[in-house]
Amino acid sequence: MRLTYLLSLEAKRCCYLLFFLLPPLFIMAQSPGTREIKGTVTAAKGGPAIGVTVTVKETKRSTATGANGAFSITAKQGDVLVFSGVSFETREVAVTGENQYTIALTESSAVLNDVVVVGYGKSSRKNLSSSINTVKPEDLNRGAISDVGQLLQGKVPGLNITASGDPNKPAAVILRGASTVNSPGAPFYVIDGVPGADIATIAPDDIASIDVLKDAAATAIYGNRAGSGVIMVTTKRGRKGQVQTSYNGYVGIEKVSNSLDLMDAGQLRAYLAANASAFSPNDDKAANTDWMKEIQRSTAISHNHNISLSGGGEHSTYSASINFIDKQGILIKSGLKRVIARLNVEQYALNDKIKFGLNVTNSSSNATYVPLQNIVLLQAAKHLPVSPVKNPDSTYFENLNTTGYFNPLAIVNNASDDTKYNTLIGGFTTEVKLPLGLTYNVNLSYQKTTSLHGEFYSSYYGKYPTSNFYNNPDPGIGIAHTLIGNLFGKNGSALRSTFQNTAKTVESFLTWNKKFNNHTINAVIGYSWVENTYGEGFQTSSTNFPTDNFGYNNLVLGNPYGISNYRINLGSDLTYGQTRLISDFGRLNYNFKDKYLVQGSIRRDGSSVFGTNHEYGYFPAVGLAWRIDQEGFMDKQTVFSDLKLRFSYGVTGNSQGIGAFTSKLVYGITGTYYNNGVQENAFGPLQGSNPDLRWEKTATTNIGLDFSILKGRLSATIDVYNKNTTDMLFNYAVSPALVPGGRIWANGGSINNKGIELSLTATPVSSGLFTWTSTVNMAHNNNRITSLQGPFSNGDSIRYSDPEGPGQTNATLQLLKVGYPIGQFFTLKYAGKDQSGISQFYKKDGSMTAGTVTPGIGTDYFYAGDAQPKLLVGWSNTLRYKNFDLNIFIRGVFGNKIFNATRADLSYTTAASGNNILVSAADDKIADIKNSFYSTRYIENGSYVRLDNATLAYNIKNGIKYVSNIRVYASVNNLFTITGYKGIDPEIGQGGVAPGIDYNNFFPKTRTILFGVNVSF
Amino acid sequence: MKKILYITGCIASLSVLIASCHKINVAVTSELTPEVYPQTDAQFSSASGPVYINLRSEFATTYFFLQSMTTDESLLPTYAADWIDGNRYLELHRHTWTKDNAVVAGGWNYLANMIGTANQTISIINKSAPPSDSKNTGIAELKTMRALAYFMMMDLYGNVPLDTVYGNTSLNTNAPRTQVFSFIESELKASIPFLKSTSGASTYGKPTKYMAFAMLAKMYLNAVQYTGTAKYNECIAACDSVMGAGGGSQYALEPRATYLQMFYPTNGPSLKEFIFSIPFDASTSNGYMFHARYDLNRNLGIKYLYSGSTPGAFTNPVMNLNSGNGLSNNKPSGPRCTTDSYFAYFNDANDVRNRQWLSGLQTWADGSPILVSTTNLGYNQFYTGGSPAGAYTYQLNLLPLGTSRLGATAFDLGKDEIAWNTGTRNIKFIADYTNTTSRNQNNDVPIFRYSDILLMKAEAIQRGGTPTLGHTTLSLVNLLRAQRTTTAALSSITLDDIYTERCREMAWECWHRNDMIRFGKFEDSYGLAKTNADTYRRIFPVPTTAIATNSKLVQNTGY
Repeated sequence: MRLTYLLSLEAKRCCYLLFFLLPPLFIMAQSPGTREIKGTVTAAKGGPAIGVTVTVKETKRSTATGANGAFSITAKQGDVLVFSGVSFETREVAVTGENQYTIALTESSAVLNDVVVVGYGKSSRKNLSSSINTVKPEDLNRGAISDVGQLLQGKVPGLNITASGDPNKPAAVILRGASTVNSPGAPFYVIDGVPGADIATIAPDDIASIDVLKDAAATAIYGNRAGSGVIMVTTKRGRKGQVQTSYNGYVGIEKVSNSLDLMDAGQLRAYLAANASAFSPNDDKAANTDWMKEIQRSTAISHNHNISLSGGGEHSTYSASINFIDKQGILIKSGLKRVIARLNVEQYALNDKIKFGLNVTNSSSNATYVPLQNIVLLQAAKHLPVSPVKNPDSTYFENLNTTGYFNPLAIVNNASDDTKYNTLIGGFTTEVKLPLGLTYNVNLSYQKTTSLHGEFYSSYYGKYPTSNFYNNPDPGIGIAHTLIGNLFGKNGSALRSTFQNTAKTVESFLTWNKKFNNHTINAVIGYSWVENTYGEGFQTSSTNFPTDNFGYNNLVLGNPYGISNYRINLGSDLTYGQTRLISDFGRLNYNFKDKYLVQGSIRRDGSSVFGTNHEYGYFPAVGLAWRIDQEGFMDKQTVFSDLKLRFSYGVTGNSQGIGAFTSKLVYGITGTYYNNGVQENAFGPLQGSNPDLRWEKTATTNIGLDFSILKGRLSATIDVYNKNTTDMLFNYAVSPALVPGGRIWANGGSINNKGIELSLTATPVSSGLFTWTSTVNMAHNNNRITSLQGPFSNGDSIRYSDPEGPGQTNATLQLLKVGYPIGQFFTLKYAGKDQSGISQFYKKDGSMTAGTVTPGIGTDYFYAGDAQPKLLVGWSNTLRYKNFDLNIFIRGVFGNKIFNATRADLSYTTAASGNNILVSAADDKIADIKNSFYSTRYIENGSYVRLDNATLAYNIKNGIKYVSNIRVYASVNNLFTITGYKGIDPEIGQGGVAPGIDYNNFFPKTRTILFGVNVSF
Repeated sequence: MKKILYITGCIASLSVLIASCHKINVAVTSELTPEVYPQTDAQFSSASGPVYINLRSEFATTYFFLQSMTTDESLLPTYAADWIDGNRYLELHRHTWTKDNAVVAGGWNYLANMIGTANQTISIINKSAPPSDSKNTGIAELKTMRALAYFMMMDLYGNVPLDTVYGNTSLNTNAPRTQVFSFIESELKASIPFLKSTSGASTYGKPTKYMAFAMLAKMYLNAVQYTGTAKYNECIAACDSVMGAGGGSQYALEPRATYLQMFYPTNGPSLKEFIFSIPFDASTSNGYMFHARYDLNRNLGIKYLYSGSTPGAFTNPVMNLNSGNGLSNNKPSGPRCTTDSYFAYFNDANDVRNRQWLSGLQTWADGSPILVSTTNLGYNQFYTGGSPAGAYTYQLNLLPLGTSRLGATAFDLGKDEIAWNTGTRNIKFIADYTNTTSRNQNNDVPIFRYSDILLMKAEAIQRGGTPTLGHTTLSLVNLLRAQRTTTAALSSITLDDIYTERCREMAWECWHRNDMIRFGKFEDSYGLAKTNADTYRRIFPVPTTAIATNSKLVQNTGY
């Protein structure tokens, strides 16, 4: 360790020196014989080629073409000008006696020459043997989006992204099917080479490209953390000689597009009358309140501004940006304000042999949440429309006589829940060009996230009955309700917490690039050291305040000691932890005649989180590719302009869900016990220790074919994969007599995912004025649990996902079972209603229940489809006409089932006189006490097609002085959705162990209309 | 040459770098690990705390459900769709439970977990503590607690695996009930010499010598059921050990005047009648003692100050309101009641124990009626008049259970005020008027009480055991009755009289299933169509969840 720091100190010292030495370089006089050369660069299709780099060969002099394709550079006769651009074939032109040049560049086969970020280096797409998808910023989803998952939704085959309607919840991202039942997690993010960086620090406008590493040959270089794929984000850089200032901004208007179809006062009154029932006069104040509307904003406005500056001199480049977003949530009170500032400087030294880079990003957010949001949503869904929001004396209306029944507006407006968080990422990179084609990199990075949280519940909460103020769990996960009433104390209660997480990373690697004759070798060896410290900080609470005015701002004025049973909330044990990850890795790429490509890599990963017997794991990978189009026998054919066959196999690891202490025996407070007259803390083991805890491993075989036909008008990529996870990490159930608590983290079962992915890009029309490009991607995945054998027991046939519907405790929805996928539904089989309108079900023996006799939970259950989609489709179209462009993005999910537990719970007709129900339950009788039982009746087809985004833009390219480009656009998100699904939205979380459950899902779906402008100077 | 040196230098420094930084272990600085804990006597004590927390965790819920709600002592009917919960309570009442019943599974898990925790703590203290008297006592206390868990588990499930060594992860099959019996007996006998003999705060909630003797007495009294061999003389000897404690003065019956207070939230170590009890504390996060939540009528929260309920300035009718002018109306769930056949045992008007029941018309403390205001339909779901939402006020009247008005075979009482007011309620463990913020109660719950010792000895003599110390069945029972009723002492006694005396004395204390089985009444018909008479149901099945984690378990006969 010490050595690296010394090295970096040395490097920094050098850096300071260079700052003093540099100015003379900039004012270097023109060498004799040089003169100013001017010209215009055009694209072969016509029109100016903007942003093409013009370099005088074998000098450091370079510039870039401006808005008209014009450039100006000093050179002398005999010099060679090199014209290079991202989407053009590089061209060299010798300087003659002429002073004015017009250069036409041909567009390159864009995809093939793309540079792909592969982890500890870059590669050109044509020489890849692994499966990597690159998404350019122009292809990212548009909208008032502050989450990277949503930016990528539908863009990459095999990446199954489900976004929640709730803007404060990140999207669930699953790559190529859940590879583990242990929190099938999100991919690993690497931002500008900083592994594990927080994706919330990146403003979407600052993204230069996103590379999604999918197969093991690509990801294994990130070893243990790559089990769920790797997403590499590269931010924008400055370019030499090209000073650019740009502004991007938008205003978004969000409105509710779909919400629950609950009964209004008239409908519910008619329903009760038809069922010989009536409201209680305590509730019935002849109002007609739409409670969902009451907790929503009619319009939520968001606006985003991004100013970026970039440029570069001969020996340095810089890029800086500042981004501000202010986003209102659709629910009242909720919102997010965030400022992100970013600075990136690269500078060369020692005759350009050394390149230093400094990246600093700071993201500062202020998030305002709906206090007790889940309770508020549930109460808004259940509250009777005949009750008013407020009494005539303008106090909030409440009828606490009905159990678990509270005014949602009173809950929101008498509490606050805010978090300020700040993430700082600093990175310092050094790249040293050594002789013999060697390059040495040292990257140091530091990431710190701090949070400052405050919650306040005013004295109004004192009126809520503490014995039935239940927490409402998050949608989709089905954890049991918890009683939160007794946390509130009396006369207002406040909670504050502040925590910080830090990650320090040191990575160094040596690269050797060598080309001799037909052989090209690229070899990397390296070392990585990561130390994470999390949960450093504290939490505290107080209650019994003299007034509600202070909120959570002054805990000192409370008197918690005045409330006999109140306990100051210091948070939970095991919050703080430190982990270390040390890895050595190597990769060798060999390329013969650009025709046969071979790649091999290995990474040895050590982690402090594992059992002392298994700290290290090895993750090897190989990749082979054959560029068939380069073969002699292909010379004559004109069909294929590109044809490549790829094969790869590799192993990656997973340690998600494993914390610093998971494998260790740790004692914690298990409660208090009576000891000699007082209640004392009892300390007991919090978990079973497992010194054999080790990496979960996923081995992936991938076969891929890339081809391009019709002179590049149609290109396609097909990948087929087989993914086997073994030594699956899981919190296995064991006999509590052997391990107190009955659960232990251990390695056990296995899971298989097989799938096929297809990506097609075509340009059906390309005339001078009009072009149409279309990209379709499709993915199919088949997930099967192949074993659930735990350490000393079998986890097979465990029922889970228990939404705790009324009278339905333990009525689980899903089953973990070998031979079935994760998310297998296992529930009652609905048999329709009998003559008196009572819902009936099939029993296990095939007979039917009768009357009000209820079927057995667990015993009368049947398999009933699963939550995993058969096909995911994304279809993107770009149409350009003159200065207009139109982008239409359509997304589809097919063949999945959704358990609509929300509909079941809101069809609880027996309580309809006290709780609102859905319009769809109108045909169920109040006497039907079994109508809301979770059963096949509430399993629905989850397929849908959504017009996700349509953006129309107009580009002003010429004509305004000093302005190189103006783009104005209007964009609509979620224009329409075609589905048979009866819930708010068929996009139900696919992540986690319990996918596809629509439960407590009351958050309204929204539609956003956006107006934006991009200006470059 | 220079170049080569340069490169060699670079590669050398890189390899030094790689070799130098492979220290993977991170020191634990924020948690208690075996390196630092437990080391002192106080720490050994706090390390054994989890066992007591385990016992407390589900004794008043799951364990009560299994021991009481399977008998005529109590039942939890359904109210339309409310409290169906997968038929768990219906199955318990009607003796139709399966191995999938959640309560049956919960009970096994509760006790197995207590055994596992005890094993672990015994292993920790055996390893870490230096030999001393306090270590011997500590280990003996833990072994006695483990014996208690095995006793409770053997009583419920019969044949259970003897997992007694922590760290041994090999799976054991069930040991036959007789073998489990012998194990408990030998563990208790081995522990008794090391257990403390004092009572009061220093040993309250912890096993003492006399708690071990009381448990032995219970084992021997039921030995015919557990092993097929009668052990009435052993039972009498164990009872005598308890009665002779502290020269015969350590334990005593609570007088009639304070009998009810024995179960109040203020009870505790000063009670001479408690031999072993669970000290519940309303402020502990995992003390799930909320009898009042289940047992109190929904309209009685205010009268009994349930969970912070206060009447404020309101008089009758108050139930319609919920807040304002100091009123706070926290309603208990209140679904549980007793059967008419069980309530019938309380037929002596002079018996103080009658006062643990709520039945018939209810009044405030000053004798004025408790009026409840609702709607016509809210009162009676079958209301057919012209004004379903019209106001209806009535005096709260807790009616006998009878059979459901929805049909002779129904377990559902309906979903109106009539339904919720059906059934006689028990308030022995009266609502905790001292706790205003949660439904947890401070009432400590006894497991072994002195009156039980007297009744056990009386029964053992009546069943053929040899009388000692001049005691007879009649003298022992009259000793107890003198502190409970002002009615004249009994002049003769039958075995059945002992049963009814036990019903009156031990109600709501988790012994009724044990008593019914011993007296052959577990197969009787009672309550809401409980007619099942399968004798194999005297023990519960091994739950599916237990077999899932231990494939070597063999299912009990009949299931």
